[in-house]
Amino acid sequence: MKQVRMVGSVFIVALCLILAPGSSWSQEVITVGGCQPITGRFAFAGLHINEGLMGALGYANEKGLLGGKQFKYIYEDTGYDLMRAMASFKQMMAKDNPVMMYGESTGQGKALAPEINDRYKVLYGSTSFSEELADRKVNPYMFVSGPTYSQQFGVLLKYIAENPKKKGVAPKVAFFYSDTEFGQDPIPFARQRAKELGIEVVAEAVTKVGAVDVTSQLLDLRRTKPDFCIFQGYVVSPIAEVIRGAKDFGLDITFMGTFWAMSKMLLDNLGPDAEGYMGVMPYAYWYMDDVPMIQEIQKYNKKHHPNVTYRPNSYMQGWFTGMVFTKLAQMCIERNLPITGENLKDMIPLVKDWDTGGLAGMVSFRNSNATAMGKVYKAQGGLFQPVTDWIYLD
Amino acid sequence: MRIGDFKESYASDEAVFRTPTVRFWIGVLLAALLIFPFMVGEYLLYIANMVGIAIVGAVGLNILTGFAGQISLGHAGFIGIGAYTSAILATRYGLPFLVCLPLAGLSAAFFGLIVGGPSMRMKGLYLCISTLAAQVIFEFGFVHWESMTGGIRGINLPRPQIFGIILNNEFKFYFVTLTVVIICVSAARNIFRTRVGRAFIAIRDRDISAELMGINLFRYKMYAFGVSSFIAGIAGALWANFLLSVTPEHFPLTESIRYLAMIIVGGLGSILGAIFGAIFMTLVPEILKNILSMLVEAFPMAMSYLFPMQQVVFGLLIVVFLMFEPHGLAEMWHRVKDYFKLWPFEH
Repeated sequence: MKQVRMVGSVFIVALCLILAPGSSWSQEVITVGGCQPITGRFAFAGLHINEGLMGALGYANEKGLLGGKQFKYIYEDTGYDLMRAMASFKQMMAKDNPVMMYGESTGQGKALAPEINDRYKVLYGSTSFSEELADRKVNPYMFVSGPTYSQQFGVLLKYIAENPKKKGVAPKVAFFYSDTEFGQDPIPFARQRAKELGIEVVAEAVTKVGAVDVTSQLLDLRRTKPDFCIFQGYVVSPIAEVIRGAKDFGLDITFMGTFWAMSKMLLDNLGPDAEGYMGVMPYAYWYMDDVPMIQEIQKYNKKHHPNVTYRPNSYMQGWFTGMVFTKLAQMCIERNLPITGENLKDMIPLVKDWDTGGLAGMVSFRNSNATAMGKVYKAQGGLFQPVTDWIYLD
Repeated sequence: MRIGDFKESYASDEAVFRTPTVRFWIGVLLAALLIFPFMVGEYLLYIANMVGIAIVGAVGLNILTGFAGQISLGHAGFIGIGAYTSAILATRYGLPFLVCLPLAGLSAAFFGLIVGGPSMRMKGLYLCISTLAAQVIFEFGFVHWESMTGGIRGINLPRPQIFGIILNNEFKFYFVTLTVVIICVSAARNIFRTRVGRAFIAIRDRDISAELMGINLFRYKMYAFGVSSFIAGIAGALWANFLLSVTPEHFPLTESIRYLAMIIVGGLGSILGAIFGAIFMTLVPEILKNILSMLVEAFPMAMSYLFPMQQVVFGLLIVVFLMFEPHGLAEMWHRVKDYFKLWPFEH
């Protein structure tokens, strides 16, 4: 019984510590919360996103960008599990009452949307590039840290329309996507947009995430001979299998991806087969030393994380979100408004032609709470290199 | 020390709460559950609601798997059917929450009967695989029957109302969850005081003997599937109305496995086991997360090692529990209770 009692006491002490009321922060502190998918299926990005967001907030504090105020960042791991993410959100809101929140998934954003609108009134950024969360009329407190997937397709299709493989012949594209929300989100828009731009959609292949056998889809590509094939809803697999398979079949297809399929990890995985792979990215890459904000990021990392030699694109997503948080807080400060979720939300549509130091071009949240812009990159020598300047859609 | 516990009739032998002591403690528990929401904040109320929904789901699965011995890997699918039914009825037909709730159960029960069909010819692992197929088919249906389910985007529900009270926070919803939990648990407990419940157990223990005793195997297996999926449907409807959104991603195969883990950890074939299992599987990850978050605050550099430890520790806890008590938490509880029965005169 002694052990039972001991386990009991440890449990009670742990519970007391957990339930202890949070300390209240002074007026000078702007609390930012993060429900981060540091473990679980999304861990490949979650850890870097968290580091990026933490970095950008730390950078703002260090540079004194908030006129005497300081960011305080609190975060929890959600394991990419909706139930845990919701619990973390509610716990942070109850304990620390942050005015800005970072969410782990599209699912969490959707599940929280009604409560954020009527109850929590907190500015909400997330890992998601979903069209639904960028809809200002429905979700005024939420923003997408970049272009939505539809807008990313918009950028790619615009590029394809302007750079057809054969001059004067309508380009042919194929969409290759996973049967998930992530995969299907932009497809209806993409079909419509392709039609408007005079691009022929010759094939649509749908697979499971991480599918290995893609033979039937490859045969479809061989039959329909698209000039371009755009992936959506995958991170690595089966992109590598498809690209290698197409090469084996001798197909002349330019493969393209959207944000999550634009990591160096994919290029490393593809090795020499990566050459010529293209895609859209809303940010600059770590190795682009000539970009002023990238220089700042590198300097910050050198100071705080001297062992770091590379930061992936998910880190840039986190950093950019941190920059948006900073920008909106600055706008409130400039207007002498208290930094509350409601005021921060009102600032989103006012962001126009904001210079992000080259990390994401000139950013505006015009028609939706998303940036509607991106740059097309191409893999050359194992790294993504830009082939266009920033392409703006609005 | 409990004394004077003797029975004079079959009815008293079959009673749910057999002694005044038990009745007293049940009263205390109920009072505590009623006072609880007034004492805690929204986070703990959220967790309490989640635990409640998990209890309903786990009790449902325990009827099928723990009592009737039919292993199911499609439980999340049934919960999903309940959630979607409730969401569709609320958004398309504007039906009130109290009507949607039983209808969600009935719709899940209908599908449960279909899925249970193969149990006439299959048992054990074979049946398990056929329920796995059902899970996959349900998931496919949630994603691709877009006109009905809203596809991958799912359905957003209006806030539920009961007698004009809008359930717009965890506090109000807690009482709904608590009521549903009490009804489901009482119903499940009472099933096992009837012929049907005893037939389930007989089928589980040895189906041939059960058949020899005159139990129609197929009929009772179908009852088990029906009742279990009905309760799963109710859990789904609660989930949908609590979260106000339903998407296919809420009901993956891993959720079915989580429910199986709940009843195994809690104790197969025990209502109390399902309750303990649901509490354990919902609460322990939260407690671990909070402890590790505190550690991460103290050692921020070790974040990438500390957070994954949650899963490792959680997994280890399950293994350790099962190693030391294969009959689950319910059995541990019984032993603790037995100890106190004679306390302080154990010898």
